[in-house]
Amino acid sequence: MPTAQVNLTSGFSRRYTGGRREFEIEAKSLRDVIKALDKMYPGLGEHLETETTVAIDGAIHDEPGYFQKLREGSEVFFIPKLEGG
Amino acid sequence: MNDVAPSRYKFVGTRPIRPDGVPKVTGKAMYAADLAMPGALYGMIIRSPHAHARIKSINTEKAKALPGVKAVITGADFPNHKFEYIGPERVAVNFWHVSRNVMAKEKALYDGHAVAAIAAISKSVAEEAAELLEIDYEVLPHAIDVDDAMKEDAPLLFEDMITRGVEPTPTKPSNISKKLEFAIGDVEKGFAEADVVIEKDFKTAAVHQGYIEPHACSVRMDPDGQGEIWSSSQGHFVVRALTAKLLDIPVGNLRAMPAEIGGGFGGKTVVYVEPVAALLSQKTGRAVKITMSRDEVFKATGPTSGASMTVKIGVKKDGTITAAQGVFRYQAGAFPGSPVMNGCLCAFAPYEIENQHTIGYDVVCNRPKAAAYRAPGSPISAFGVESVLDMCAKKIGMDPVELRLKNAAKPGTPMIYGPKLAHGGYIETLEAVKNHPSYQTKLGPNQGRGVASGYWFNGGGESSATIQVNADGTITVATGSVDVGGSRASMALMAAETFGVPYENVRAIVADTASVGYTHVTGGSRVTFATGTAVVDAAKKAIDELRSRAAMIWDVDVEGVVWEEGAARPASSNVGDFQPMSLKELAGKAAVTGGPITTAASVNAGGQAPGFATQFCDVEVDPETGKVTILRFVAAQDVGTAIHPAYVEGQVQGGVVQGIGWALNEEYIYNQKGQLDNAGFLDYRCPVASDLPMIEALLVEVPNPVHPYGAKGVGEVCICPPMAAVGNAIANAIGRRLTELPMSPPKIRAALDHSND
Repeated sequence: MPTAQVNLTSGFSRRYTGGRREFEIEAKSLRDVIKALDKMYPGLGEHLETETTVAIDGAIHDEPGYFQKLREGSEVFFIPKLEGG
Repeated sequence: MNDVAPSRYKFVGTRPIRPDGVPKVTGKAMYAADLAMPGALYGMIIRSPHAHARIKSINTEKAKALPGVKAVITGADFPNHKFEYIGPERVAVNFWHVSRNVMAKEKALYDGHAVAAIAAISKSVAEEAAELLEIDYEVLPHAIDVDDAMKEDAPLLFEDMITRGVEPTPTKPSNISKKLEFAIGDVEKGFAEADVVIEKDFKTAAVHQGYIEPHACSVRMDPDGQGEIWSSSQGHFVVRALTAKLLDIPVGNLRAMPAEIGGGFGGKTVVYVEPVAALLSQKTGRAVKITMSRDEVFKATGPTSGASMTVKIGVKKDGTITAAQGVFRYQAGAFPGSPVMNGCLCAFAPYEIENQHTIGYDVVCNRPKAAAYRAPGSPISAFGVESVLDMCAKKIGMDPVELRLKNAAKPGTPMIYGPKLAHGGYIETLEAVKNHPSYQTKLGPNQGRGVASGYWFNGGGESSATIQVNADGTITVATGSVDVGGSRASMALMAAETFGVPYENVRAIVADTASVGYTHVTGGSRVTFATGTAVVDAAKKAIDELRSRAAMIWDVDVEGVVWEEGAARPASSNVGDFQPMSLKELAGKAAVTGGPITTAASVNAGGQAPGFATQFCDVEVDPETGKVTILRFVAAQDVGTAIHPAYVEGQVQGGVVQGIGWALNEEYIYNQKGQLDNAGFLDYRCPVASDLPMIEALLVEVPNPVHPYGAKGVGEVCICPPMAAVGNAIANAIGRRLTELPMSPPKIRAALDHSND
């Protein structure tokens, strides 16, 4: 299974992970990442799904989707959700 | 207007007439204010004349007793909502706040804040009833300016507001709703490495989106709890969701219809009148129509934030930017939620800078609640950043485009918000400006040239589309995206390209909330990208269905049928000797091959590419009057693939014009009592055609590989550079740097009169 480098913002980590921002997670898809983080920090998965935009290898996805595929070494950033005009 | 490179597509990239063009230019298009529901009552909102006042009591009895008055409501009639922030940081919604913005409860927080509403048989009766309302206010001190509102002794809008995002948690309340901070690298180290460090303070004015069509709606709630909303918005699904939430109505009980929209620019992504009309309709059992006046639009609907900021940039003599820092203080208006986070994230995004630090403050003040406006937040911080960059270029004797090229972000550049940039496009906009024949032309006395760039994220997300193949082979495309900028034409072009049929054979419409799947707002420059993806997906499904119908007619396997140039064809001569079957022929056989050919697709579109823009303008300043004339404006923008180039150019031109208004003239003028003195287009001066030269749009096409035709969002980043481009041009024309918007004639005259700055 590929390993992804997963990052949270400082604000998010302060609120939900005791300040830890970086994770290495074995994951084929974003679903695996969210599941793994939710297992480490129960309830975190829901926060990630509803409160963040996700960047996978720099490409921004407004809504984290379970279906988004990851490769070995993928960089995943959960960042604050954005709003347009 | 330039021509884009020859398209590799047959229909995408052409410039057909929009399907909504004829009804609009002949005055027959149906806007929200045009609709008259049978038996509808006249709805009127009563507004506070005070910038800040406690509402001690509202006596409605005399108004209710007036013949012809059917209902009078106040904030007390709205359901209570818990005080909690729901959802993501920037866009977190607190319905305790939202409900109070729709109708004040304990306090009126700005001049024009809704405090009551009346449903009556006519306008004159409603106006007479308004005079009979007895509202007892305790007028309170107010804070209009963001810097004033941040002072320790400022009047508090909310006596219990504790700043979020500060550790340890403050014990004293303030008007600062939230503090945000983003950083990469070490700015102190970066500034120490610089040869030149420039720090400057700037202020921007709150400006209205300036849409021509005021907010309007007609709502009918029936005794069984169901209802219909017809309104002008950028997203009828969101209108439905917010109205349902505010009034505790199941979402499925409401059906929202999209009227034509006369401009939104972000300001019609929220609700003001729909919940009020719905509640009045519930109370009266009659349909209720509310149409805002221009005065109400200015006083009570969202402008974007005014702001103050401090920007500091360090550069080496060779032009390398070593560090950049920005402190951004944005007005949120009367309730928390300015776009300051976007300002912090976009400020330095066009550049590869090792050391960056941004701090943002979200500050409430006695103004209408800020709403989204084209690339919300980004143009404000761009004004400060792009102005200081211009000063840096001048200080080290470097061309401002060369300075930007030397530091331009490219794929792999670390962004302050975490990830590395995935898409290019910025360098191409700089090259387009640098190579423009007018960039090197000589200027005359009192003339100056200014350059600036901008960044915007662009959006994706949830969208839906349905495709129907009609009996004669024409195609109807229905989406849930309100068309504010020609998106029906773009959807039809993408469908035509996918089917391989002429544009004229495809008609695109905007469907109501019961007739197409959920679709997020038309905002964030998301529609061509996200809804376009849904349209192409639905078209591909329809093509698969058409192939299976042809296979049934030919008695072959579906794998033996391909779809090319608008017709089903045998995949090879081995399949059989069949003549191609057109859409029309297959549609004629629809009944015997399985019934109507209809498909739907819904997507959560991700992988959108950000927008980059670089612009330059030439201005002439009249030293006697301070009037600025824009002589030339060239706007280069990475647009991905221009699906409909004329409408893309229209977006670029529109964004630039709004930016010029923001730069030169637009501002809210409040008097000593905190009342807005210029709530009308006569005194709130938007640029008009006669003020402007032709805006030259340079479409740079760097396609986004994630989208079926390479589309990127185009509607927002164009408003990011103009304020700094104009400011830089004025600085070059008069030798004085203006740091406060708008750069109106009195300010220019004052700058000319004070030569020591």
